[in-house]
Amino acid sequence: MHLRRQFLPTLVLAALSGSPGLAAPDESLPKAEEILDKFVEATGGKAAYEKVRNEKWTGTFEYLGKGVKGKVTSYRAEPNKSVTIVELEGVGTMQDGTDGTTAWQSSSVQGPRVKQGDERAMSLREATLRAPLYWRKLYKHAETVGVETVDGQACYKVVLTPEEGKPETQYFDKKSSLMVKMTMSMASPMGEIPVETVFSDYQADAGPLQPRKVQQKALGQECLFTLEHVEYNVDIPSDRFDLPADVKALTTK
Amino acid sequence: MCAFIACAQDETTEQKRLNQESFEFVWSTIRDQYWDPTFGGLNWNAVHDELRPAIERASTMGQARQVMRQMIDRLGKSHFGIIPADVYGDLDERNEASGTATAGLDVRVLDGKAIVTSVDDGSSAAKQDVHTGWEILRVDGVPIAPALHRIAELDGNSTMRELHLSRAVLAKLSGAAGTVVRVEFLDGAGRGVTKQIERSEPPGALARFGYLPPAHVWFRSRRAGGNIGYIAFNLFLDPARLMPEFGEALRSCAACPGVIIDLRGNPGGLGIMALGMAGWFIDKPDQRLGTMHTRQAPLKFTVNPRLPTYTGRVAFLVDGCSASTSEIFAGGMKDLGRGRIFGTRTAGAALPSAIDRLPNGDGFQHALADYVSEGGRPLEGVGVIPDVEVKLTRQALLAGRDPVIDTAIEWIQKRK
Repeated sequence: MHLRRQFLPTLVLAALSGSPGLAAPDESLPKAEEILDKFVEATGGKAAYEKVRNEKWTGTFEYLGKGVKGKVTSYRAEPNKSVTIVELEGVGTMQDGTDGTTAWQSSSVQGPRVKQGDERAMSLREATLRAPLYWRKLYKHAETVGVETVDGQACYKVVLTPEEGKPETQYFDKKSSLMVKMTMSMASPMGEIPVETVFSDYQADAGPLQPRKVQQKALGQECLFTLEHVEYNVDIPSDRFDLPADVKALTTK
Repeated sequence: MCAFIACAQDETTEQKRLNQESFEFVWSTIRDQYWDPTFGGLNWNAVHDELRPAIERASTMGQARQVMRQMIDRLGKSHFGIIPADVYGDLDERNEASGTATAGLDVRVLDGKAIVTSVDDGSSAAKQDVHTGWEILRVDGVPIAPALHRIAELDGNSTMRELHLSRAVLAKLSGAAGTVVRVEFLDGAGRGVTKQIERSEPPGALARFGYLPPAHVWFRSRRAGGNIGYIAFNLFLDPARLMPEFGEALRSCAACPGVIIDLRGNPGGLGIMALGMAGWFIDKPDQRLGTMHTRQAPLKFTVNPRLPTYTGRVAFLVDGCSASTSEIFAGGMKDLGRGRIFGTRTAGAALPSAIDRLPNGDGFQHALADYVSEGGRPLEGVGVIPDVEVKLTRQALLAGRDPVIDTAIEWIQKRK
């Protein structure tokens, strides 16, 4: 669930496409909290999440059809610390992270910057470890608004409104209870970017189920993140989540 | 024997199928992604129906490419093109096959004549004392003038004329590494001079990005006119190397009264590099070079301020061979009041684009968005108009001078 959107730094020309399926207005819709709690159960249950104190995952990243590929490594720790490193061929290294207070991004192309407003709020939400357990804390409102088909499967469509930032829409497969799609407007310095993210190939790696494939569409471009390996409760250096020096310089400016 | 013939026929049939799939890919990509869903009044479905029989008839790759180029030419925009598959091969193979080694010369067409504007250090041309300002008359015995005349007529008043003319001459000079090109010049004294120039790899390191054809990228920085910084690079590529070099060039020039950024002949590359470079000159947040308008949403080219901010004067040098990211960078900085532009109008080819691989192996470059500079002007087909128009002349080049650099230096020195 947390491999949702921001593993790609600025270059993400992600996107929207939102192909709405068939609505079923006459169906009695379950409450959003029921759907979101079922998602926790479907991905391993509360106990599986509660065992996770930190995590490290690695994978690959690719702009589909563009020949641009890279490697991704991400670290997360309680309560909402994260660092994601993308090494993109022909471009260089891009990093995105938060120490739980300051959310930042740094790249060889654009240099360091500190996120503000909705963008910061979203990063902090995304960094929350065991986020599926805490949706009540992360969102002020959740509502089931209909049923739509995603990739041929009927899904509940749930709109979640955070305390800070734009609402996001999540789609949960009626049969498996897994989240298979999300649409949102991603805040960025380049403006609000409509993004559609599709999750598939859920697998467990000695922890909760994680989608092995995360595909994003934005502004007509498509990219694919493939999760290769996840480790839980590993030794992460204590300074791993400290702000990089150039980011720190911006906060003390 | 029969088996061989059958096999060859199958291959042709397969290639035709792939070419037809490629045609459909190109057409549908534009249908789905072209930023203007009205296609500027063009009936895109009709274009498909008109050209579909032609792609079905095409029996060679060349013919198939021609049909697809006909299709995309109907849009009348830059940054749409079909890139032959062989450019994606290994560079050595590519040089052997199509030849991208150069004669070590850069060329502009000035007053209808192909004039040498720079000679690469250490090149065969430099060793033979080829001089800037010399006019190129013939390449391997073929006169240059008729081709230039045809291109000039075809392009009319197009902002891309200078780019096309220059590229036409450079294409004739390029070939396989180690081969020799015979070039007949007119020297400074008006005498005919013939040189046998051995082609060699272009300067710079080879860079690759996605399906862009591999390219050599160089970066140069020095001092000009005393203590003025001078920075030039030939492409906005290889950011992992170029961005730190650019930053270091500026840091080392922190006390300089001004910096010249020479984008003449720079055809662009990764647009995001313009944002990164602009960050070193801008200290306020929320400043933009312009806005990219896609079909889905506008994307602001917002500059991320970087420390330390360079506060001296910034002169951008441009010409008709400055295109795309060069125009976004120079035009945006001008609109932000952070740069003054010297030279001649740019190519007006500034659409952000992507390159896909087609089923037949070719590359397909397609613009993703329209681009409007922060001043509210589209750059496509218009270009960046210099604040101070300065043209290169043969006389100045023969005298070893560059009037565009000289004018920029003069402006920066006035600050003192």
